[in-house]
Parts: sequence; C-alpha cells; structure tokens
Amino acid sequence: MPEHQPDVELRIPADSAFLSVLRTATAGLAARLDFTLDDIEDLRIAVDEACAMVLPQALTDSDLNCSFYLGGDTLSVSVTAECDSPRPPSQDGFAWTVLAALTTSLKSVVDGDILTISLSRTSGDSA
Amino acid sequence: MQSSSRTFSATAPPPPGALSSGTTWCACTSLLVEHLARRFRNRGEPYDDLLQVGTIGLIKAIDRFDPGRGVEFSTYATPTIVGEIKRYFRDKGWAIRVPRRLQELRISLAGATSELNQSLGRSPTVNELAACVGVSAEEVLEGLESANAYTTLSLDAVESHEDSMLSMIDAIGADDDALEGVENRESIKPLLEQLDPREKHILTLRFFRGMTQSQIATEIGVSQMHVSRLLSQILAQLRERLSDESLGLGEGVDGRGVEDPGNHDH
Repeated sequence: MPEHQPDVELRIPADSAFLSVLRTATAGLAARLDFTLDDIEDLRIAVDEACAMVLPQALTDSDLNCSFYLGGDTLSVSVTAECDSPRPPSQDGFAWTVLAALTTSLKSVVDGDILTISLSRTSGDSA
Repeated sequence: MQSSSRTFSATAPPPPGALSSGTTWCACTSLLVEHLARRFRNRGEPYDDLLQVGTIGLIKAIDRFDPGRGVEFSTYATPTIVGEIKRYFRDKGWAIRVPRRLQELRISLAGATSELNQSLGRSPTVNELAACVGVSAEEVLEGLESANAYTTLSLDAVESHEDSMLSMIDAIGADDDALEGVENRESIKPLLEQLDPREKHILTLRFFRGMTQSQIATEIGVSQMHVSRLLSQILAQLRERLSDESLGLGEGVDGRGVEDPGNHDH
C-alpha cells in the first residue's frame, strides 16, 4: 500500500447494505485506470470479499473506511474498521484463498482495535 | 476407467482428462463454487442456475489443472469459475427493469463488447468500449452499473436493520393470517434465516420491496405462476415451522449425524 495520502476516500456505515456504493466506486476508479471489463469485475468481487471479512468483526454502528490509491496501472484499496479485539482472517481459509486469487497483492493488519485489509490489482495481471 | 464412482478431494483433483462418466468428486470442491456463486446472487438470476454454471467452470478447471505447476487448485479454479458465471450473465438477456435508454445502451454495449473480445483477444477497457459505441466513458459505466443492478436490499441488509426486518415480518403477517401477530415476530426471524438464498430473495422482493408477483417474475426470469407457487410454498413452510415451534417440537431432526458419502479423503 503506498505511503502517501489516498487519492480517494469513502466512509460508509459498517453495514452490508452500503457495499454497493463501494463496489460502484471501485468500478469507476478502475475504469479511470483503463482496466478491462474482466479486471473491473474481479476487483468488484475482491473488494466485496474483503469487506465480507471485515464487517462481521466491526463494532456495531461503526464505519468502514475505504481508501483508494490510483497508481499508473495499479489500483490499491484498503478497507478498515474498528473492532473489538479483532483477529486477522485465517490465511489458510477459503475466503482468503479466493481473495488472493483475485488480487495482485493482499495483506491484513491488526493494529490494536483496528483491522485493515489491503489489496491491489494491476491491470493485465492474470491473477 | 471404471464406471463405478471414484471420489477426489479438493487437494488432489483428478489428473487432466481423467473425468469420465461415473466419476464423482468430493463435496468440498463444490464449496468453492457456492462461495463464488453467492457473490452474484443479487442480480436477479436464480442461485441454482448460478451453481450449475459455476460447476461447469469447475469441471473445465479440473480438466485443465496441472498439479505439477505448483499452484493451489482453488487459486487456479477461481478465475475459471468466475469467468463462466460472468459469461452466463453476458449471454443472458438481463430481465431486470431499467429505463429504456439504458436498455438500448446495454444492447449496444453487449454487441460491442462481444466484437472487441474477439478482435482484441481480451475484454475491452471502458475507453475502448466508449470509442466503439460512440458514447462517453461515463455512459459506458452507467450501462455497466445497470447491468450489474445489485439489489442493495438483500435479506442480509434487511437483517442488519432491526426496524426493516420487523416491518418486513409485519408485511408478511398482513398477507398471511397464520403468520401475523406481534408474538410471532421473534419466532419468525430465525425461520427466515433457514431459508435458502433464492427463497430469501423472493420474500425480500415481495415483502420488503413490495413488488407484485409479475414484477418478481420479470426480475428473476420465471413465470408469474411459478412465483405464486414459490411464495405459497415458502409461506406454508414458515407456517409449519412456526407451529412446530409453538408445539415445542424445535428443530425436529434427531441428533444422529448422517454420514456424508461425499466426504472421503483420497
């Protein structure tokens, strides 16, 4: 994940009802980077999957913070929520394997009560 | 190859070309298909159809998989399965209600995408599509969004909002005497959870979004009669389980685990 400030930030309630907004934003930004339709679709799913991992642990009535970084041919997305003693998702688990298959890079970080999943997808990567 | 059934686990799929009639594979690989199909379930296509399509993708992946390459099978299979499901949507005439302008745009986009897929040997970028169809990139995105048409109000979304869930249950109760009554609300909630994704989707469309049966039929691509039958079945099921509950019959099934014939390691 780049060190500089994100190019785009989105804060939504930590509630699956709002994920469509996030997916739409992801698709729009990927389009700016000239991703193909297939790559856009994969990114949508990946962002959805990442949120699916974070949401169950997020505190009730809290927010999901999403940061987007637009590289030349790479879109990086970071999804963060405040939780109650969060556990990082199991890297042997199913969901993680699927997410890894859809992304160029992927990692999760637990910092105190904050859980973050960061992923990126580079255009043209067959993933 | 014997025609008797052989089972394969997800960690050691059959070698390429090994599939023939009478060969079965472990239930655990179908978990991958379910997991991926679930991602597409709110687009108005029956979940069962998505499972079938996804399984075709799985078969293709198994057939082409080369364990010698050192790639995990699920990593390899995921794009193939997802690709198959995405292609299914592209080939289907989406029966989701959108403004005429967007319908026409989607038709142009579908045609152009298909042509460009051929000529480029890959899927086009938004700019390439825009240039080909003669619209702005933003319009292309609009067209793509309407094609995706995610239902924001899936049952999951409803469940997370207590008020929405209660008003939906009230709507069901208003429609069905046996299911009405404040005292039933708490009992109905877990019963709704037990429904399969397709049943949940239909109930949400009917009682949360207030769609008529023919609107639902158009949205999910079946006949109105079928929707009517499905709704009756689902409500009958709910009524039955509700009365089982009140008679203290609880979950109903005995505690004996039934051995799953598909779960053997090989």
